[in-house]
Amino acid sequence: MLNELLHMPLFWAMLTIAAFTVGQHVYRLLGNTAFLPPILTGIILVSVVLEVTGINFDTYMEGGQYLHLMLGPVVVMLAVPLYQFIHVMKKEWLRISLAISLGSGTTVAVAVVMAHLWIGNDPITMTMSTKSVTTPVAVTVSEQLGGISALASAFVIITGVFGALMIPPLLKSVRLDDPKAMGLTLGVCAHAIGTSRAIELGNQQAAYSAMAMTLTATLHAVMLPWIM
Amino acid sequence: MTGLLVLLFFLIAGNLLQSSFALPIPGSIIGMLLLLVFLMIRGRTPESLSQISKTLSPLLPLFIIPVSVGIVTQKELLAENGIALLVIMAVSIVPGAIVCAAIMKIGRKNSAE
Repeated sequence: MLNELLHMPLFWAMLTIAAFTVGQHVYRLLGNTAFLPPILTGIILVSVVLEVTGINFDTYMEGGQYLHLMLGPVVVMLAVPLYQFIHVMKKEWLRISLAISLGSGTTVAVAVVMAHLWIGNDPITMTMSTKSVTTPVAVTVSEQLGGISALASAFVIITGVFGALMIPPLLKSVRLDDPKAMGLTLGVCAHAIGTSRAIELGNQQAAYSAMAMTLTATLHAVMLPWIM
Repeated sequence: MTGLLVLLFFLIAGNLLQSSFALPIPGSIIGMLLLLVFLMIRGRTPESLSQISKTLSPLLPLFIIPVSVGIVTQKELLAENGIALLVIMAVSIVPGAIVCAAIMKIGRKNSAE
């Protein structure tokens, strides 16, 4: 009977939702720590269950695809916040566009060059180029580039955790920590996880971070396929 | 429900454009750009879209878990390059963050108003 359950697609869909719910509770219990966003806990829990039961990824995905299917509409949905941000940035559009394009360009270029020189594996280098893009977009774009979508997600999440932890003390130490700069930088370099950190710092930081995250994702999704 | 219908409509339109013109940009991104243009022309966000956006946004991480679990198929690659990858991700944040914050700061004293 257990074997039957483990080969039931619906079971894996349910387990994924359960793992995410546990992740949300853990996140709240630990005081919204940047170390453990709910998605990371969810991924770890599902992976552990797969390891323990010896079920392979393809079998899991027969159930996982029900949730995966929603990724497309959710990416299209990003147009809604993007449209609102276009109004916000009117006043400072040049400064904001420069900060977002040059800032995100720098971090990606450094990462891609380092990966190329140090590891020299093309799929890894391609995947690394999507590290500053919010996860749903990164997964989609890395597939298009010939990268590895599962790795793209890992890179994005780890980058987000590092960014959320490193950026506030880093910017404070070089005295570039005014609210707009802090918010924008968190959004550019640490996307959604940085944005949750920005929400804790204040309203202005949160708004600029969410805007930066969405604009960075759009810019990279459109540019990377031509550059890489 | 109308909101979801609108999203699916633009997603399908994006996918169709992507495959008919063999564009390098993913179909969902094209769909998003089309929806953005639609919103700009319309001049405001329809209630149905803000509604679906409020419903789906908190669930976004959930939809990413399945593909991310694919990491279990990459164990060898991670065992071999895991440390290098972590170092690259940590180091590459620093120059990007400084460029970004510096551009936001240059030429003004304090933007906290």
